[in-house]
Amino acid sequence: MPARRPPARRTVPSGEAGRRFPGFDVLDQADAWDPATAATVLQRLQLQPDLRFFTCAEEACAGALLDLLLAQDGPPQRPEVPVLQMIDARLAETQTDGWRYQDMPEDGDAWRATLRALDEDAADRHGAPFAALPAEQQRRLVQTVQDLHGKDWHGMPAAHVWSLWTRYACTAFYSHPWAWNEIGFGGPAYPRGYARLGVGARERWEHPDADPRDPAADSQERT
Amino acid sequence: MRRHLAAARTTLALTTGSQRAIRERNASAWLLPDDGSRFDRTQVENMRRFDDNDEVDLVIVGCGAGGATLAQRMAHAGWSVVCLEAGPFWDPDTEWVSDEAGSHHLYWTEPRVISGADPVPMGSNNSGRGVGGSTVHFAGFVPRLHPSDFSTRTDDGVGADWPIRYEDLRPSYERIEQELPVAGQYWPWGDPHAYRHAPHPVGGNGEIFLRGAAAAGIEARVGPVAITNGRFGNRPHCVYRGFCLQGCKVNAKGSTLITHVPDALAHGAEIRTEAMATAIETDAEGRYATGVRYLRGGREHLQRARTVAVAGYAIETPRLLLNSANRRFPEGLCNDHDLVGRYVMVQGAPQTAGRFTQEIRAYKAPPPEVSSEAFYETDPTRAYKRGFSVQTVSPLPITWAEHVAAQGHWGHDLRRYMQDYIHWATLGALCELLPQAGNRVTLATERDRYGLPVADFSYSQCDNDRAVIAAARTVMEDILRAAGATEVITIERYAHLVGGCRMAQDAEHGVVDGDLRSFAVPNLLITDGSVLPTQGAANPALTIMALVDRAAARLTAGARAGLRAPAGGGAR
Ligand SMILES: Cc1cc2nc3c(=O)[nH]c(=O)nc-3n(C[C@H](O)[C@H](O)[C@H](O)COP(=O)(O)OP(=O)(O)OC[C@H]3O[C@@H](n4cnc5c(N)ncnc54)[C@H](O)[C@@H]3O)c2cc1C
Ligand code: SF4
Repeated sequence: MPARRPPARRTVPSGEAGRRFPGFDVLDQADAWDPATAATVLQRLQLQPDLRFFTCAEEACAGALLDLLLAQDGPPQRPEVPVLQMIDARLAETQTDGWRYQDMPEDGDAWRATLRALDEDAADRHGAPFAALPAEQQRRLVQTVQDLHGKDWHGMPAAHVWSLWTRYACTAFYSHPWAWNEIGFGGPAYPRGYARLGVGARERWEHPDADPRDPAADSQERT
Repeated sequence: MRRHLAAARTTLALTTGSQRAIRERNASAWLLPDDGSRFDRTQVENMRRFDDNDEVDLVIVGCGAGGATLAQRMAHAGWSVVCLEAGPFWDPDTEWVSDEAGSHHLYWTEPRVISGADPVPMGSNNSGRGVGGSTVHFAGFVPRLHPSDFSTRTDDGVGADWPIRYEDLRPSYERIEQELPVAGQYWPWGDPHAYRHAPHPVGGNGEIFLRGAAAAGIEARVGPVAITNGRFGNRPHCVYRGFCLQGCKVNAKGSTLITHVPDALAHGAEIRTEAMATAIETDAEGRYATGVRYLRGGREHLQRARTVAVAGYAIETPRLLLNSANRRFPEGLCNDHDLVGRYVMVQGAPQTAGRFTQEIRAYKAPPPEVSSEAFYETDPTRAYKRGFSVQTVSPLPITWAEHVAAQGHWGHDLRRYMQDYIHWATLGALCELLPQAGNRVTLATERDRYGLPVADFSYSQCDNDRAVIAAARTVMEDILRAAGATEVITIERYAHLVGGCRMAQDAEHGVVDGDLRSFAVPNLLITDGSVLPTQGAANPALTIMALVDRAAARLTAGARAGLRAPAGGGAR
């Protein structure tokens, strides 16, 4: 029995304005999805299991880190993709990608070690845990890790730490239909399929991009 | 003009040919249900089941591209066959979804360690499990190798020569192409040839590639893809839903689950799933293989057989041989010359994406659409040997997010880039990276759930590799710019794993011969991608299946290899 579609409409995740595809809701198509797919996707809109993997300190640090990486930093009432819960569930079930770098621990241990390291950096520089810092200080600490590239960070190559964080964060966030609404992705299409192929072609139910300017060019103009 | 006429003639002859011969050889497409469900479960329920103590003619480890093809061929020829598969017997209707994150169970996710100067991440991108193996979630591009691939050592001074020629493989290529079946335009590269099924219409991504290639003066073609165009047996037409890498719920894309397994079952093969092979057994002197030890339901079994074939893919096959060390082979089965696990190859697969003002919506239509092999061969004007091919790839949101994140974007920057998703067209190259002895699978100290040492795969590029990858990147950027892209971004990736038990002329240079028989143990075959001595710039699945088709014909024609053991299993 596929899960029921929750009542929220046209939701996009917290942090961005969702101005590219206003009015588009991929969930409007859920009736056209096969039951197995609908169950898998709609489950992401249900209440997520309680945290089992992260300790309280890790929960605080990971929550702040993930909000930053994915910019889910809107006002508290805005809907958030429950990325922390989704990653916690994966780690609790050791649902890894089936590999680890030789110079990194297993994914679960690697998450714990990197969160601890982030808290240590926060304590060293600002005398408080990472989660307690103002956003700007958090951002600078995270940027430091990214800027180290292949160099060592607390005994791990920073690039491999960065890959771990962004892989788990992006997989959770962009598996969520709210994120699909934000980017205009048409989503699952079985059994119906897609009928209108080609540059500039749209299914009747797909929405045009309301602002097709290149955001890269855009931000250069703006800043 | 003459060339065009010849192409038209061969295409016409092929497309109007009868399917009867195909059906007689392999009726899989006709054994699938035509009631809208995707696999006939009664075939599984009524499957012949052997006893561990039945000394079957052949036991195969792994039911992927190579394993399933061998099972079908040998069962069809009347051999008693058991195929041990670590993963499940998929039911596409209930167990596959049109969803990226929800397809995690299709991948081989047992732990592996990656190392070396250029480590190769695994997971979704590299290998599968369950009946169909990696072909369940492979993209479905099925080009042939070029004749030049078989003698790169002699002709270019790099890589290795194969113990067989292209001509040895051509009839097998043709047979497998008919069975998958392959749709595509007339193919002008390598050994020019036609396909039986017409090319598919292309989506936005393919359109951009064709447009850019035309503007840049580069020849490009639609196909070849293992996706039915029109009905084939009981397999319906593709619905262009774009989730080929998550398993085709339509039965349009060929995986060996639907292209070879139904006919294998119909001829009495047993596919024993959730059976993880742990060691290949030999007689006390290590002269011949006697069966395969495996774990199922937490218990250890030993399936006895007269011939053993290993088809676990480029990482698991060497690992199984190394884990099968015994008194006669202390360094691992068939490893007298320290070759097992060496010369593992991946293709350099940089992906370049271009930004267009128009909407591309690359998620529609199959990711494999358009391809060019114009840069495949060694070009004497270039500083590197061998080359690359260029193909469409169409990342879904999660994969695309990794692409964007790899550019260093995060936070609001990442979110804004991602909102631009539908404006990007993406091309991927397959670069022929050279086989190197140091790129190898060894056993790590860590053990998996079965108590077996896990594989450590070490990989480093050489200068030639880096030069080919850089050249491919330039070509892809040129194509996209010629098509009108306002911005291009490239990420470094790898694709496809082959090698690790390479075939060669003799035991000093390889683990198996051209018939895929191991030099050390005459009734042990290796029938998967690990036997490739070089990889070319083509996707490997068709070549793997063609090699197995050829080896199977050799096996059927020759005497059954193994010796009968006395009653009571005295072989141990
Ligand atoms: C994302 C992706 C896209 C791809 N796209 C293409 C493409 O477009 N074109 C192309 O030609 N190729 C493509 N490939 C590669 C292609 O799928 C593989 O090269 C091919 O399937 C390898 O065949 P194989 O027989 O060596 O192994 P596999 O097909 O991987 O089969 C190996 C099987 O053995 C089983 N196994 C392993 N170890 C054991 C054990 N100890 N006991 C029991 N069972 C075991 C596994 O579960 C698996 O089912 C792609 C691969 C991936 C991952
Ligand atoms: S695009 Fe076609 S071949 Fe690919 S998964 Fe969908 S129906 Fe199957």
